Parts: sequence; C-alpha cells; structure tokens
Amino acid sequence: MNRVVAHLLTRLYPRDWRERYGEEFEALLQNGHGDLRTSANVIWSALGEHIFPTRGGNMDQHINSFGAIIKRPSAFLPLAMSLTALTLVLGHVAMFGAVREADEGTTAHLWQLLMAGQMPVLAFFAIKWLPRAPRQTLYVLALQTGAVLASMAPVFLLNL
Amino acid sequence: MRSTRNVAGTENDAGTGHYSDPPLLVLASLASGPKHGHAMIEDIAGLCGTRLGPGTLYGAIARLEQLGWIEPLPPEERRRPYRITAQGLHVLRAKLKTLELFTRAGLGRLEAL
Repeated sequence: MNRVVAHLLTRLYPRDWRERYGEEFEALLQNGHGDLRTSANVIWSALGEHIFPTRGGNMDQHINSFGAIIKRPSAFLPLAMSLTALTLVLGHVAMFGAVREADEGTTAHLWQLLMAGQMPVLAFFAIKWLPRAPRQTLYVLALQTGAVLASMAPVFLLNL
Repeated sequence: MRSTRNVAGTENDAGTGHYSDPPLLVLASLASGPKHGHAMIEDIAGLCGTRLGPGTLYGAIARLEQLGWIEPLPPEERRRPYRITAQGLHVLRAKLKTLELFTRAGLGRLEAL
C-alpha cells in the first residue's frame, strides 16, 4: 500500500491506540495490498475503535471517552425521546396524512411532551459533561441536536 | 470476545465454510510460534482460508493483549511480533475442545440425514 495512504488510514485511529500500535500497524499496511477492501476494513475498524476503544491495550473504557459518555442515560435518553417523537409524527402522517388539525390530538401532545421533556435532561447532560470532556460532549450534543431537528422537521415542513 | 464480522476477505469464493473468529484465529496462529501481523495474516489464510483485514487483525490483537492471552515481543525494525501466553494457550485449548465437540455433534447429525 502507498505510504501516504497507509499513514492517513492509521491516522483515523484514536491517538492512544496509535501511540501503542500505530507504527507496526502502518508497517503492516505498507506491506499489504492497497485495495479498496483493505481500506474499508481499516476505516470500519478505526470507527469501532473510536466507539469502543481498547486504548492501546487497555480495554477498560475511559470514563470520558465518547463511547462511555454516549451510554450515560442523560446522553441517550434525549436521543431516544427525539427518535420516538419522530416515529410518532411519521406514523401519524402515514396513517392520517399530512393534515393540519384544529384540535391537537394525542399524537401532538405526546410529541410536545417528548420534545419538552428532554430539554431538562439535555441541560443536565451539558452542565455535567461539558466541563469534564468538552470535545466528546460536543459530539454527543451535536447528535442530540440532529435528532431534535430531525423530529421537528416534519412538523414544520408539513405544517402540522 | 469481539465481533467476528470484520473480516476483509476469504479465499473461499462461495463465502461458505470459512471460519471467522479473529481472536481465536490469532491465538491458533501464535500457537505455532511468535509472529508479527503480516505473518499472522498469511498463516491464518493458510490455516483456514480466511484472510483477516489489517483492522480486524489489530482489533483482535489489542483485545487479546488486554486479556493477557498474547504478549508483545521487542520490535524487529517497525514490525512487532507477538507470542501466546500460558493463559492464552489454556483458553485456546478449551475453545478448540468445545469446537471439536460441536463439530463432531454437527457432523453426526448431518450423517444421520
């Protein structure tokens, strides 16, 4: 494999992992085939290493890693609530069509509860984790924001 | 052990019959002596036709090292060989025995068909 490509692929891994295995891994890549399948395998494994890091031979997940933080209830609950709200809206649209109703139904109330209910959880998560692990927390917050926007999008786009 | 799905390829074109449990394959490869990454890939390909991708291989190596089932040796230039530990040998033996029992039972059932 091309030396530059091998280096770039190795750079996809977390720093701790690279410090332990980076050099030998890069040497292995340079020694092997540089085909698409190999690159895909490395990209996929590097992604896995970010989510479930071995951290250079230390399998105990660091308490402030992205993988550890996303497993916290205050991190995944808002995501789950947004996705549930999105499912509710899409289910409602699929069953009854994108019709604006004068009287808000059960689905609308549930959607509002889910969206409003996650705000204190989101705030708690940000207050607790931003000072401890700013970068990882921002990634999680970006995910949560994306989920919120995704569940709000059909409501505003379809004018429900 | 880690998921065994990330196998880059196999020499078996039909995709059937290939075995893909990277940690076990690494342990089995190191049972015949210390090896570095590239030697392990070639050895495993010769052993069962499964060609591990480099990412998969090092995912298995990192976890096996953490478990204390393999250990690194001093690097040779940029390559680092690994060897299986006594604990790793014990685990490998136990796993292969289970597989043997499973294989025997499975083949027995096929013969009965």
